[in-house]
Amino acid sequence: MSGIPEGVEWKGNTGDFIKVDAAACDGCGDCLRVCLGGCFTLREGKAAVASLEKCMECAACWYACERGAIIFSWPKGGTGFATEYG
Amino acid sequence: MEEVYDVIVVGAGFGGPVAAKKCADAGLKTLLLERSARVGEKIISGLTIPFYGFLFGPSFIRDGNPPIERPVDGIINYIVKDIDRGDIEVDDSLRIPRPLSPVLCFGYNAYCIPFCRWLADRAVESGAELRTSVTVSELYREGERVAGVVTEDGQVIRARVVIDAEGSQGLLAVKAGVRKKYPPDVISLADVYDYRMEKEKVDRILGFSNRFVWAWDEQGLAPPLGFGNGLMVWPYRESVHFMQDQCLKTERGSRSPNLATLFREYHRNITSKLPWWRDEVAPHAELRAHLWDTFEIYVGLDGDLRREPMVADGLLIVGDAAGLESTELCDGVPSAWFSAELAAETAIDAVFGGDASAAFLERYRRKVESHPLISWSISGTNRYNLRYAQQKHDIRLLRRFVHNGWGLGAFTHASTPLALAALRAIQENPMVITSWLRMFPRYFRNWSRNSFDPPLAGDRSSGGEGQRNRGSQAVQGREPSENSSIHCSGNQHGTFSPAGSTSPRGIGLLEKAASLGLRALDIAIFFLGPALSGTARLLEPLAHLANPAATAFLPILETAMKAAKNARRLL
Repeated sequence: MSGIPEGVEWKGNTGDFIKVDAAACDGCGDCLRVCLGGCFTLREGKAAVASLEKCMECAACWYACERGAIIFSWPKGGTGFATEYG
Repeated sequence: MEEVYDVIVVGAGFGGPVAAKKCADAGLKTLLLERSARVGEKIISGLTIPFYGFLFGPSFIRDGNPPIERPVDGIINYIVKDIDRGDIEVDDSLRIPRPLSPVLCFGYNAYCIPFCRWLADRAVESGAELRTSVTVSELYREGERVAGVVTEDGQVIRARVVIDAEGSQGLLAVKAGVRKKYPPDVISLADVYDYRMEKEKVDRILGFSNRFVWAWDEQGLAPPLGFGNGLMVWPYRESVHFMQDQCLKTERGSRSPNLATLFREYHRNITSKLPWWRDEVAPHAELRAHLWDTFEIYVGLDGDLRREPMVADGLLIVGDAAGLESTELCDGVPSAWFSAELAAETAIDAVFGGDASAAFLERYRRKVESHPLISWSISGTNRYNLRYAQQKHDIRLLRRFVHNGWGLGAFTHASTPLALAALRAIQENPMVITSWLRMFPRYFRNWSRNSFDPPLAGDRSSGGEGQRNRGSQAVQGREPSENSSIHCSGNQHGTFSPAGSTSPRGIGLLEKAASLGLRALDIAIFFLGPALSGTARLLEPLAHLANPAATAFLPILETAMKAAKNARRLL
């Protein structure tokens, strides 16, 4: 599972489609634990987006955060992840 | 000049193109918007589309030649009690026997890109305009009324009715305050692996049955059943799809488990310990994609969420975006198709009647709620109940829920909705009977030849460009031919003989005889149509007896099947 196989492609220029509202975040880490793309990190006790390069746009972070601190939208049209094998 | 559409459909997944096609067929100026560059490339699924989606869904799918990966004749359930000692029970009661299988089947496995593109092509053929690489950022409102959409670059596209077919996250409706965001305990994260495998190996090793694995938590094989989940393996044409899934939380307000660690551990255990995967599949399977996505596993079981709106002024919400994903089989495609057709019917009436108010559109919700297969599929509790078996570590409960969910016991709750759907379809058009009978052999023939409707001409990969059918692009006829076919997933390896000993000549004769028989049946139904419709109407109340009858009859049938199996073994 380490390393992404060939069957997934990420197209850049997505825009910041996931943001964290630091004022609402209590640093519980739920977003980190449900993200299979490793997109989040904790900085000074708050969640922060580390990178969206391996985001599969599943919105698990958005669902898991019951404090509403994850602001989720879709990447720009035609960008983000794509696969032949979904 | 600003363009105004009659209908804008957001999302070209499984439901959106169905709604767009129906609206375009009725002469409405219809726009289908899709945020991905290629239709279907952002949809992740372990996808068996059940037979009832095809039989009772849109006629253009049932009577067409969509690209499928493999017919599925049933499910083999593995109940793992102790993996290290090899203590594994099998429930394979829900399998259609040869020679009926795989022509007659419970559903079809499919990849999303070819299938959704096929659907979108049909919408374009009907005159809908498709624009890809367009992200809709919010609904456009005039006062309270939804009057179009706003795209990511701030462009407003106006419409009389918007159909939201956005998929399970349903961001547009949540942002607009129409629906609530789902809580994490009704949402599952699917961890999906796609493996390349030669077709002859898939044929020989996995055949035509999906395989599900259910295990006690401490076995570390399927994600903890306390969260209500398992492991599923789907054979495709020349690949294998593998999915484990896990609810984001067990209870609202609790902490999420570390899903990356958990999935990694379980994936390692499955691939190294489960005998049939380790010894038979693994040596021939090459991982080519690791994917994940969330899906709404238990939305239908939550009374409050089930009552969330499906309409607002100028807005209709369909499929997963309306919370219609199955709570047991975890598929959303049949309900997306059914609801997309119902939404399109309502949108057509709204446009022609000049009334797209929520009060008028509410009839859509009533149609959805009275659809026997939608209401059945969003109320199944066997999967949810697995957690009780897990908590009590009760193997009898586990066997019972697995059998009733993914074994022959499914007919104790599926028979009535299936009978109701069939009788209502016959009342509407008795000729549907021969369409049903034709569909299974045609789908199988298409699959065995790896030959399906070709994609429409034109480059769909360029973002933002509208595409409409200009007539000359239309596919002429529906029957595939050698020159106008697409191959579903690359090269075909070897050939497949559907009935083992039956020769190609025999199959040809059989096909001709069946074709003549069906034509005769067409003529008979044509003349008997009104009588058949009337009979179906009279029988409808009796459909409610189908579940009790199945509950009474199945134990007898299963006892007889076991006896026959034992007798064969002795002989």
